[in-house]
Amino acid sequence: MIVAIIYLLLIVVSILLTVQSAHVLYLMLYTWDRADAERKARAPDEFLPPQISFSVLLPARHEEDVIQSTIERVVRANYPAELLEVFVICSQDDDGTIKKAEEKIDDLKRKGLHNVRVVVFDDKPINKPHGLNTALPHTANQVVTIFDAEDDIHPEIFSLVNTVMVQEKVKVVQAGVQLMNYESNWYSTLNVLEYFFWFKSRLHYHAHYGSIPLGGNTVFFARELLLRLGGWDDRNLTEDADMGLRISAMGERVRVVYDDRYVTKEETPPTLGHFIRQRTRWSQGFMQTLKKGTWKKMPTRKQRWLAFYVLVFPRGQALLGIYLPISLGMILILKVPVLIALCSYLPVLLLAAHFLVQAVGLYEFTGAHGLEASPKALVRMAIAWFPFQMVLAYAALRAMRREMLGRHDWEKTQHVGAHRTTTEEAESRVG
Amino acid sequence: MSDNPTPSRPAAVDAKGRNTATDKNTAADKNTEAPARRPRRRPRFSVERGWFPPLGPKGRIALVASLLTGLLTHGYHLFRYPLYLTDEGIYMQRAWSLVRETSLSPYTYDYDHAPLGWITLAGWVFPLPKQFETFGNAINTGRFLMLLVHVAAVYLLFEIARRLSGSVLAATVTSFLFNVSPIAVYFQRQVLLDNLMMLWLLLSLFMLLRREVTIRSVFGGGLALGIALITKENAIFFVPSFMYLLYRRVKGSASSRFTSTLWPFAAATPIGAYVTYALLKNELLPSGFDFDLNNPPADHVSLLYTLWWQLNRSQGTLFSHTGLLQTSWLVRDKYLLIAGVCAMVMCLWIGTRDRRRNLGFLIAGTLAFGYAFYLVRGSVVLDFYVTPLIPMFALNIGMITDRLLKGSFANRFMRGAHSLTRVAVPSFVAVLLLVSPASGYLVHTNTEGRTQIADQYQSKINLTGMQHAQIAWVRKHVPPNSRIIMDDDLWGELHDVRPFYPYAHSHWNASSDPDVRDKLFRKKWQNVDYIIMSNKMRKSMMTNNADGRENWILQALRNSTRVWSETEGNIKLEIYRVQ
Repeated sequence: MIVAIIYLLLIVVSILLTVQSAHVLYLMLYTWDRADAERKARAPDEFLPPQISFSVLLPARHEEDVIQSTIERVVRANYPAELLEVFVICSQDDDGTIKKAEEKIDDLKRKGLHNVRVVVFDDKPINKPHGLNTALPHTANQVVTIFDAEDDIHPEIFSLVNTVMVQEKVKVVQAGVQLMNYESNWYSTLNVLEYFFWFKSRLHYHAHYGSIPLGGNTVFFARELLLRLGGWDDRNLTEDADMGLRISAMGERVRVVYDDRYVTKEETPPTLGHFIRQRTRWSQGFMQTLKKGTWKKMPTRKQRWLAFYVLVFPRGQALLGIYLPISLGMILILKVPVLIALCSYLPVLLLAAHFLVQAVGLYEFTGAHGLEASPKALVRMAIAWFPFQMVLAYAALRAMRREMLGRHDWEKTQHVGAHRTTTEEAESRVG
Repeated sequence: MSDNPTPSRPAAVDAKGRNTATDKNTAADKNTEAPARRPRRRPRFSVERGWFPPLGPKGRIALVASLLTGLLTHGYHLFRYPLYLTDEGIYMQRAWSLVRETSLSPYTYDYDHAPLGWITLAGWVFPLPKQFETFGNAINTGRFLMLLVHVAAVYLLFEIARRLSGSVLAATVTSFLFNVSPIAVYFQRQVLLDNLMMLWLLLSLFMLLRREVTIRSVFGGGLALGIALITKENAIFFVPSFMYLLYRRVKGSASSRFTSTLWPFAAATPIGAYVTYALLKNELLPSGFDFDLNNPPADHVSLLYTLWWQLNRSQGTLFSHTGLLQTSWLVRDKYLLIAGVCAMVMCLWIGTRDRRRNLGFLIAGTLAFGYAFYLVRGSVVLDFYVTPLIPMFALNIGMITDRLLKGSFANRFMRGAHSLTRVAVPSFVAVLLLVSPASGYLVHTNTEGRTQIADQYQSKINLTGMQHAQIAWVRKHVPPNSRIIMDDDLWGELHDVRPFYPYAHSHWNASSDPDVRDKLFRKKWQNVDYIIMSNKMRKSMMTNNADGRENWILQALRNSTRVWSETEGNIKLEIYRVQ
C-alpha cells in the first residue's frame, strides 16, 4: 500500500513538474516564438524630440566605488539637462557614499550642471523602498525613474522612453536590464542568462496578460501614478514586484522594451554568499507579496493566476530542492517499475531542454552584445547547471526559514563594477 | 510643468536629427501621382517564406471531396478485403498484451520493432465499449483506426501538396491517387505500423510547412518525427529532407538558433524514451558486448543487437522475376509506381536546377528518393514495406501534373482555355483510370476474362469471411485446452474471445520463443494437437525453416489429417488434426 502511494506520488509530482517546466520553457522563449511579440518588444527605430521631463532616483548604500561614475553616466545621457533631475538617495550613516556623491555634484556644478542633488534620510527602515519614498516628494518632473548605483545606463535611454511614452500613451515603461559579466565566476553565466530570458522574453508575456512583477531599476513611472499609489511598500523586500502587481491591479498597461542596444548593464553578485543573500531577499519578497494579497485584487482570473504563479514559485523551488534528491534516492533504492521510472524521468528531460535553451541563449546573448561565447563558458555552464539549481533551491529554503522567523531585514548586495570591464570590452569589439 | 507625460505626437527624427516624417510625406506624395490601377499580380508563393496562397472556395471543395473519397475507398468493404495478414495479427496481439497484461508482448519482446505503433493501437482499443471486439474482432477494430488514420492523412497530404506546390490541382491529384490507387487501398486498409508512422510523418512535415515557423510548431514537428521513428524505424529515410526543409525555413529568422536546436532535441526525445526503456530493463546491450551474428546471445534480448542484426540482413530479390516488385507491387498498380518514379526524377531535376525557387519540388523528390533508396538498397523487403512510398509518389505525380499544366497567358480567351485544360486533362486521366479494367482502380478483368468491379469494392468477395468460418469450426470442434499451431492473424480471436485457447501459438513463436518451443511443445510433433493453416502460412514455414527450426512442426503436419478446408481464388485455408 505504502509503495503504491509512493509510486502514485512519483507519477503525480513528475507530471506536475513536467508541465510546469514546459510552461517556464515556453515563457523563456515567448518573444522568439512569436513574431508579433518580438516586434512589440523592440525599441522604436526613430526617436521623437525630447519632450518628457525625468526625475532620476539613485538609491545608494555603501556605493563609494561606483556612485560617481553612475552619476556621470546619468547626467551625460543624450537628453537635455533641463529635462533631467537626479537624486542620489542615502541614509545618514552612509558618510562615504554621501561624500563621494557631493564631490561629484561639486565637480558637475563647476562644469555648469546643476541638476543633481543628494537626499538623505535618517529614519528606519534603512532600505531601498524607504529611500525612494523619501525622495519622491522632492521630485518635480513628469516621469520618475530608478537606477541602481552600479547601473550602466545607455545614453539614449531617456530618448527611447520619451518616444515610447509619447507614441503609445503609456504611464509605465520597464526597459531592459542585463547582467554582463558572464565569465566572472562559476555561476555568473547562468545568472546572466536568467536576466536575459527574464527581460527579453518572459516579462513581455506578463505585460501582455497584464500581470507583471516589475524590475528594480530602469523602470519609468508617470509621477502622478506613483503619488496616486502612495509610493513603494517599504516593508516589502521586493518592492518592485509588488509595485508592478499593484499597477496591474489598477488596470494600468505596462510597456516592456527590451532592445539589446539600449539595456541597462549590471553585474552579478561578486561572491556566492552575496548571490545567495540576494536570491533569498527576492524569494522572501515574493513570499511577502503573496501573503499581502495584492494579486487577489486583479480583475481577471488569468491575471490573478499568473501573479500567483510567479509569487508562489520560490516555494516550489524550495520543494524541488527537497524533492529531487528524494526522488532520485527512491528510484535507486526502490527499483521502481520501468513505466514509473520512465515517467519520473520526464522532468529530467525537461531539465535537459532547459539546459539546451540556456546554451543557445548564451550564443544569443553574446551575439547581441558583440561578445563571443567560448566553449569553455559552455562547459562551465554545464558543470555549474545542477549546483546552480541547488543554490537557488537553498536560497528559497533560506527565505522560507527567514519568513517563518519573521526576519525582514534587507541583506544588501555588494557591487564591484565587474560589468564595467565586460561592457567596455564589448563596446570596443562592437566599435 | 505639466504632469501629463502623453502630449501630442511631434515629428520623428532619426539618429542624425533629420526630420524623417517630412521625407516620408514627400515619398507618399510621389506615390499618389502613380496611376490608380495597379497591374494585376500573380499571388506570391514561396515555400521558404511560408507564402502559401489561401485555400479558397475551390480548394475547400477539393479538400472535402478528397476526404469523402478517402472515407469511401478505404471504408467500404474494410472488414472484408483484404485478407487478415499475419503482421496485422502480431500488432493487435501486442496491443492485446498491453491492455490485458500491461506488457509490450505476450512473448519475449525482442525489439524487432519500436513499440509505439501497438501502444497507439492499445490506446485506441482501451476506451472502446467492447474493446477488441468493438468492430467484430481485434483486426477489424484495428482496421477502423486505420480508416481514421487515412482520413487524417488525406487532410495532411492535401495541405502538404498544396503548400509545396502552391496549387490546389497538385493537392487534388495527390489525394486522388492516395485515395483510389488499388495498391494504396490494399495496404492502407491493413493494420500496419507503416500507416501509423506515415500519419506522424505527414504531421511532422505539415508542422514545418506552417505559414509562420514558430518554435512551438518546429518543436511539435520534431516531436511528431520522433514519434514516427519509434512507430516504425524506416521513417529515418525521410529525415534528410526534413532537415533541409527546416534549414531553409528558419534560415535568417530571429529564432533560428532555438528552432534548429530544439527540433532535433524534440525528435530525439521519444527515441531517448525507447532507449531508456531498454536500458532500465538491462536490455540495451547484448551480454558481454557480443555482436556476433552467427551466435546470438542466449541469456537476454538486446535492442542494439537486434538493430545490428537488422542492419546486416540482406535479401536483394526485389527486382528479380519472383521479387515483390514483379509479383505484387506492379500487379497492384503499375501506373502509380511507374509514373511515380518518373515524377520523382522530374521533381529532383526541377528542384536541383533552381533550389531557391523550387524548394517544394526538391523536398517532394528527395522524400520519395530517400525511401525508394531504402527499398532498393538490398536489405530484407516485405510486401507492405511499399506503403510509405505510395503517398510520396502520389505527391510527386501531383506536383509534376501541376507543373506540366502550368501556363501564363495575357489573352483572356487563352487564360480561360488554359484553366479548362488544367481541369479537363487530369479529370480525363482520372476517368480513364477508373473505367479501365487494366488499372484495377474501380474495375478489373477477372480470371475468366470478364470485366467486373475490382476486388476491393466487390460485394461478392468476402475474403475475411473464410477466416471467420475457420474460427467458427475451431470453436465448434476443438477443445480449448488443445495445443495449436496457427498464424498470428487468429491470435486475437482465440485469446480474447471466450472460450479462450491459451495454448494456441503462431508457428513463428512456436519455432523461436524458448518459452513456447521448449516448455509447451518441447520441440516434439507429438505435442501438437491441431494446425490451423493457410497456404501463405505454409509458404512462410518453408521460408522460415532455413535452419530447420520448423522441422518438428512440419513433421506434425505430415502426421496429421485435414479436417476442414475452404478455397477462394488463390487463397486456401485448412485445419489439420495431428494424429
